[in-house]
Amino acid sequence: MIRLLRLSRLPCPVGLLRLLCLAVLLVVTSASPAAAHDVRAGADLRIAQTIAGAELTLVIKATTRVPGPLRVEVIGFPSAPALDLRLRSTADGRVTHGTAAPRRPAQFRVEETGPHELTVGAGGETAVIPFRVLVDRGSGWEFLIYGGLFVAGLLLVGGLLTGAFNRRGRPAFVVTAVAAAGISVAALIVVLEPWLPTGPPDGAEPRPTGSVLGRPYVQRVVTTVPARPVAGEEFVTRVELFDGSTGRPVDDLAVHHEAMAHLVVTSEDGRYFRHVHPLRAAPGRLEVRLRADRPGRYLAYVELERTDSGGQLLTGSFTVAGPAKPTPSPGPGVQDAAAGTVTVTPAVPRAGRPATVEVVTNGTPRPWLGMAGHLIVRAEDGEFLGHVHEMGTPGGRLRFTFGFPAPGRYFAWAQYATDRGITTVPFTVEVPR
Amino acid sequence: MIQAKGAKGLRGLGGLVLAGLLAVIVAAFVVARSSGGDPVTTAGTRYAVTVTADRNTIDVRLGRGEADTVTVAAVMPAMGHAMPEVTARKTDPGHFVAEGDLFSMGGGWELSVRLTGPPGEETITFTTLVTD
Repeated sequence: MIRLLRLSRLPCPVGLLRLLCLAVLLVVTSASPAAAHDVRAGADLRIAQTIAGAELTLVIKATTRVPGPLRVEVIGFPSAPALDLRLRSTADGRVTHGTAAPRRPAQFRVEETGPHELTVGAGGETAVIPFRVLVDRGSGWEFLIYGGLFVAGLLLVGGLLTGAFNRRGRPAFVVTAVAAAGISVAALIVVLEPWLPTGPPDGAEPRPTGSVLGRPYVQRVVTTVPARPVAGEEFVTRVELFDGSTGRPVDDLAVHHEAMAHLVVTSEDGRYFRHVHPLRAAPGRLEVRLRADRPGRYLAYVELERTDSGGQLLTGSFTVAGPAKPTPSPGPGVQDAAAGTVTVTPAVPRAGRPATVEVVTNGTPRPWLGMAGHLIVRAEDGEFLGHVHEMGTPGGRLRFTFGFPAPGRYFAWAQYATDRGITTVPFTVEVPR
Repeated sequence: MIQAKGAKGLRGLGGLVLAGLLAVIVAAFVVARSSGGDPVTTAGTRYAVTVTADRNTIDVRLGRGEADTVTVAAVMPAMGHAMPEVTARKTDPGHFVAEGDLFSMGGGWELSVRLTGPPGEETITFTTLVTD
């Protein structure tokens, strides 16, 4: 009878569970989105760059401990020059140098988590890539798991001793009850851990919880150096990015399809096409070297994404002067080859309805910019540009589904990478009225 | 009598255990979401600064380089807010403080600290969390 009475007044595990559940419900918050340019365990940072006439992907390998090693690899499409690398910690200013080439990674040592800058140099060109080294710290909840188990273990031994030396049941009972509470807390946290909020990893950018998504639009200025490029001569295409609300340079680009920005440059008639990945020359300034073979007007499209925002497409144009001069090579890492049979289904696509574009590949495609294939579609007048991704078709084929938005003529370029480099398959599509 | 006393003691103990558990949960929650007001150290090529910011004060301590003037421009990228540039007052050698209504709201702010002095001019940009 006494026992029963005591039991009913105990802070029973069910009551504890209820209280804990309530507390947990109060504290559970949605996870904030990942910041840009982070290197952390399980997440390498892959950034495509067009440098020294080569198309390559730079891979900053994930690190699990700091101080510890940091490896930088280079994947060439199909080849890449040796890159001079300089790693600088923005927190303490420490600088280390290295060299990387395909199959010859550079090995650095990072002394602390947080912001770093990797300066990449080749062929007289330089890119500065800001990134953060993050290391996951154990969640605070583990403290509760181990604490609960520790208390339970300690009190169970205490309970045994009390039971052995004390005839009266109360102290032993109390000890057992607290031990049970310890085990309950530990078990509850083990079960609920995936949903519990955790702190940001070490080295993460300071940011408020529950960040607002969406940042102001980007304004761009597209120029060339020299201002009037000449056909056959190399020139620099420069894209300067400014925040539409503050006028400040935009330097918070997220890595979007494995690049800070994708620049598509086409001639007005669609015969010239380049899809390149400009270098970050300075905060808010992207640059890439190009060479055009014929005079005329060229249209530039920049696809990028700000941190915590969606994708944006910026446009610009420039004019190339001088007589036509056929260039010896078609451009950085690109082989223009009519290497694929292109089939559009239905054969006469209708505006606003999905059409399927199938491209037979020459060789086995390997992932490039995170995808097996890319399809760039431009309206003849240049007023529309689409970037379509291949959705994983087995065999030597690429399949894209795309709805041509309005009747008219479209220039299209399907792109994929093989061991021989990047193949571009140009074709046109007529969408009747 | 003994029964009632025992039950009362147990209730008190249970309350204590519960209060302790809640305190642990709240502490873990606060640790897990710890934020705000932390100093941010950033090294430029000429200067290194450690900056602590709250709504009304920006405290700049130089780790490297002797600066004559320190000005701070604040931008909140998430909201598109820009605040007027403020000049920090030199309180001690290597220590500058700006005071006033410096931020329109709490949150993640990008600070551009422009320093001039014998090593030259440099702008150091970083992100910090400003708490209300």
